[in-house]
Amino acid sequence: MKILVLNCGSSSVKYKLLDMGTNEVLGAGGVEKIGMKGSFLKHIRRDGKKVLLKGEILEHQLAVEYILGILTSEKHGAIKSLEEINAVGHRVVHGGEKFNSSVLITDEVIHKIVECIDIAPLHNPPNLAGIYAINELLPAIPQVAVFDTAFHQTMPEYAYMYGIPYSLYKKYGIRRYGFHGTSHRYVSQRACDFLGLDYSKTKMITAHIGNGVSITAIENGKSVDTSMGFTPIEGLMMGTRSGDVDLGVVTFLMEKEMIGAGAVSTLFNKHSGVLGVSGISSDMRDIEHAIVEGNERAILAMDMYEYRIKKYIGSYAAALGGVDVIVFTGGVGENQTTTREYVCDGLGFMGVKIDNELNAKSHGVEVLLSTPESTVKVVVIPTDEEYMIASDTLEIVEKL
Amino acid sequence: MNKYMAEEIIEAIERYGLSKRNRKRTLFSRIGVVGCGKEGSVIATTAALNGMEVVFLEPNKEGITNAFSRIEDKLDRKIQNWGLTENEKKAILGRITGTTSYDDFNGCDFVIEAIRYHDQTGERRVIQRKEVFKELERVLSTNAIIASNVSTVIVTDLASELVHTERCIGLHFLSNVPDSQIIEIVPGLNTSTETFDKVCQFAKLINHQYVSVMESAGLVSIRLFLIQLNEACQILMEGISNIEDIDRVLTVGFGYRQGVFRTADQMGIEKIVRLLENLWDEYGSIKYKPSPILLRLFRAKHFGVSSNKGFYTYDDFGNIIK
Repeated sequence: MKILVLNCGSSSVKYKLLDMGTNEVLGAGGVEKIGMKGSFLKHIRRDGKKVLLKGEILEHQLAVEYILGILTSEKHGAIKSLEEINAVGHRVVHGGEKFNSSVLITDEVIHKIVECIDIAPLHNPPNLAGIYAINELLPAIPQVAVFDTAFHQTMPEYAYMYGIPYSLYKKYGIRRYGFHGTSHRYVSQRACDFLGLDYSKTKMITAHIGNGVSITAIENGKSVDTSMGFTPIEGLMMGTRSGDVDLGVVTFLMEKEMIGAGAVSTLFNKHSGVLGVSGISSDMRDIEHAIVEGNERAILAMDMYEYRIKKYIGSYAAALGGVDVIVFTGGVGENQTTTREYVCDGLGFMGVKIDNELNAKSHGVEVLLSTPESTVKVVVIPTDEEYMIASDTLEIVEKL
Repeated sequence: MNKYMAEEIIEAIERYGLSKRNRKRTLFSRIGVVGCGKEGSVIATTAALNGMEVVFLEPNKEGITNAFSRIEDKLDRKIQNWGLTENEKKAILGRITGTTSYDDFNGCDFVIEAIRYHDQTGERRVIQRKEVFKELERVLSTNAIIASNVSTVIVTDLASELVHTERCIGLHFLSNVPDSQIIEIVPGLNTSTETFDKVCQFAKLINHQYVSVMESAGLVSIRLFLIQLNEACQILMEGISNIEDIDRVLTVGFGYRQGVFRTADQMGIEKIVRLLENLWDEYGSIKYKPSPILLRLFRAKHFGVSSNKGFYTYDDFGNIIK
């Protein structure tokens, strides 16, 4: 069965065509700068060769059309006709409280995703644009929605509520939803397979560390707490997001800098985090270079970034009442060996011990880093959200 | 990395579309602005900020350069106030192009005329504006909208010599108060409902609210503002209060974001005097007669922020120093 996975952002569409029988990626890539000057489609063929298609791509529908066009093209494509695609899986960012698992997309589901636009104004509209595009171009093909928030719907009420008037939860749905759910679910399941553990009987902490950072506490296969909240800004310090900040700072700055809600959001979401502290970049590789050169603010940014990861893992160990497995994933989690070393060293008090030599040479591969005497298993699992989306899609479509 | 770059195949995308059908361009993906002065640059920046491609026209290269520095200045201010990032600024500037030729408006579905009032005389330049409308009709497709940024000019008059008058409409951006996100939309006598609806959609796309206003000199905003300013000048002349305190009553007492004198300085006293005279002409009411204080500032060339002195004194960045 061949499944196309689409991840539509505000000005981009990422895609992957997978053959679920052979687990092979038949083609992948992305369209960027939709509706802007200089839009392009980058495609990676089955043979690994890269193709760059330049031209005007004004809207998501057209982007999807070109994606289907190149996938079926004789020159660069992977399939002969669109009929070969059995289903399409979409990443949908916000499912609110309406979805706790992946679902087959129906008119009713679309209606519910539309209702969630209020709490995800930036993300859900482009996700919907992708769904509408497939509806029009491939009307007969089943589509599945896989939500970023669904995995965290198992959080207990005391973990997801904010300490603010309950009426606001009722009125606007203000609560913690959490994000990166597909990634946390994938790496936690995969880690148990990799380690030969029973997923339904394991206490795990998964750290998705990339440009966005979130950490999740998983007990017996269920998310019981996660660091991102109502929006992805809560929790850890990230590339350009501040993470946890005293709300007093926000109101103080609004008054002092005379700025409104829009500018505050940009300040804490785009000017902050590693970029804001270092003044250099939001990319940890640039920060590492600057540290080698002795840049003090880069050192500070890295210290803050790593300290908060350690702090969150420590607190989630308490939330779980102990932990069996810690998983590192995401661009930084899979590759930045120094961060893993710092974090794990700091968790030595609870029995975490990793093989530093092995850690130092492990980049982007599945690996068990902890030593045999470590009471907590520490693993790196490269995340694969597209695979997870495809496998959910397969599962749902097979039941039809 | 270079190894991969070398292996990359680069092609045009068009032939990979699924259908050869004529694709509908999304509405307002590319718009034009004639005259990129104080108001034109606000319009260009706002549209580009909201993802539209913008072409603006100035009479010469120097005009283009100046317009870009005005636009950059606006974006830099947004960055300083945390409302924008450097990368976003680059992307926005990438969406804006300047030209000296009307032919470059080809493909625009919406063009706004925003040429300045005459620098010295403050005259409305109705004849020049009509010329602009005619030039636009020449290069644009028949369903493209031609708009004028109006405050006291009548759009029906501007459109009178065109073939397709139904696609002409007036707009008024309240460009003098930073981030004021409202537009007055002014249909002319011949403006079609379709044109009106599309412009309402344009307002939504650039995150502005809008009000529909009947064609009239001064619309709602200018009339209300000028009368209030004239009255404030009267209070000042009677020695009842001072500039700062009058502004304070408005900001603190009535919740205005800035006072009437501060706004007047940003708008330009020279423009205000002419606007008042236009309204006086139009309505014949003495209440529109420019206050002697305004005339005094005007004759002394104390135009406001632009000349560092008006009701207040300003530094080169437009901040009040006294």
